[in-house]
Amino acid sequence: MAKTYDYLFKLLLIGDSGVGKTCVLFRFSEDAFNSTFISTIGIDFKIRTIELEGKKIKLQIWDTAGQERFRTITTAYYRGAMGIMLVYDITNEKSFYNIRTWIRNIEEHASNDVEKMILGNKCDMNDRRQVSKEKGEALAVEYGVKFLETSAKASINVEEGFISLARDIKAKMDRKLEASNPSNRTAHQLKNEPSKKSRKWSCALL
Amino acid sequence: MLISDGTNAKALLCQRCPCRILNPLKGSFVRKEMFLPHMKKKSETQAPTDGETLNDYWLVHDMYTFENVGFSNAVGNTKYLICADCEIGPIGWQDTQNPKDIYVALDRVRHE
Repeated sequence: MAKTYDYLFKLLLIGDSGVGKTCVLFRFSEDAFNSTFISTIGIDFKIRTIELEGKKIKLQIWDTAGQERFRTITTAYYRGAMGIMLVYDITNEKSFYNIRTWIRNIEEHASNDVEKMILGNKCDMNDRRQVSKEKGEALAVEYGVKFLETSAKASINVEEGFISLARDIKAKMDRKLEASNPSNRTAHQLKNEPSKKSRKWSCALL
Repeated sequence: MLISDGTNAKALLCQRCPCRILNPLKGSFVRKEMFLPHMKKKSETQAPTDGETLNDYWLVHDMYTFENVGFSNAVGNTKYLICADCEIGPIGWQDTQNPKDIYVALDRVRHE
């Protein structure tokens, strides 16, 4: 069967436990569903499809699945990753300070040109906020990466975050392609159309 | 009509949320016996592993053919499929010994 996509990007979600990389909104709000089975065994990864500049992009998104508790995230885990979402919880200052630790870990173990982005999650919980938006932005500026505040629970900015990260990876890839094959320059018709939005990702960051 | 030329005539969507799982014509209809834990609560005394044997599936040979889907961690040789958005499941399974064969249960998705 013909390939059904133009690009495939492998992405990782990194951050302390409890920052809301996986969300529990639906799981506990609807008694009619048997959620125990899946939440007991846990989620390995997800496939998502987005459209960017007329191209179909498949995202394969991995979570650290609790390995972060044991600080065992090493080279094997980062292998093949093209983008990393660094996630902290705006109601938990420690998770914010640990973003620096995670970035050091990435610099040590991941490929040099991996695209990074910082998400301050749980922005629906403003009454319990410990980390200001300005602090988040300043950290992102310091590392030269993009930043968004998200709410996986209220589905605010989650899809936008992934689209932004994917756009940066695609741009980098297209630049590399052009550099290695300059005669194809005219073949690229980059149209900056806003992506058509039929729906919003709900609930889960992962 | 759910089947067109041996494949799914309609898109597969999550039963609980608007998430699109598979586009039309991307899965082949197969009959195969497989036990899947329930995704809905049938009774108060139901155990998480209680389930039913289902026989009708859409077979997909490449995980990247899916529009949106989640894979659970493996239990033995089985990974279960879930909705990528609301995480309801299992909606199907993958045998890790034959990872190119991924099955979505007709009974556990909407056809639209």
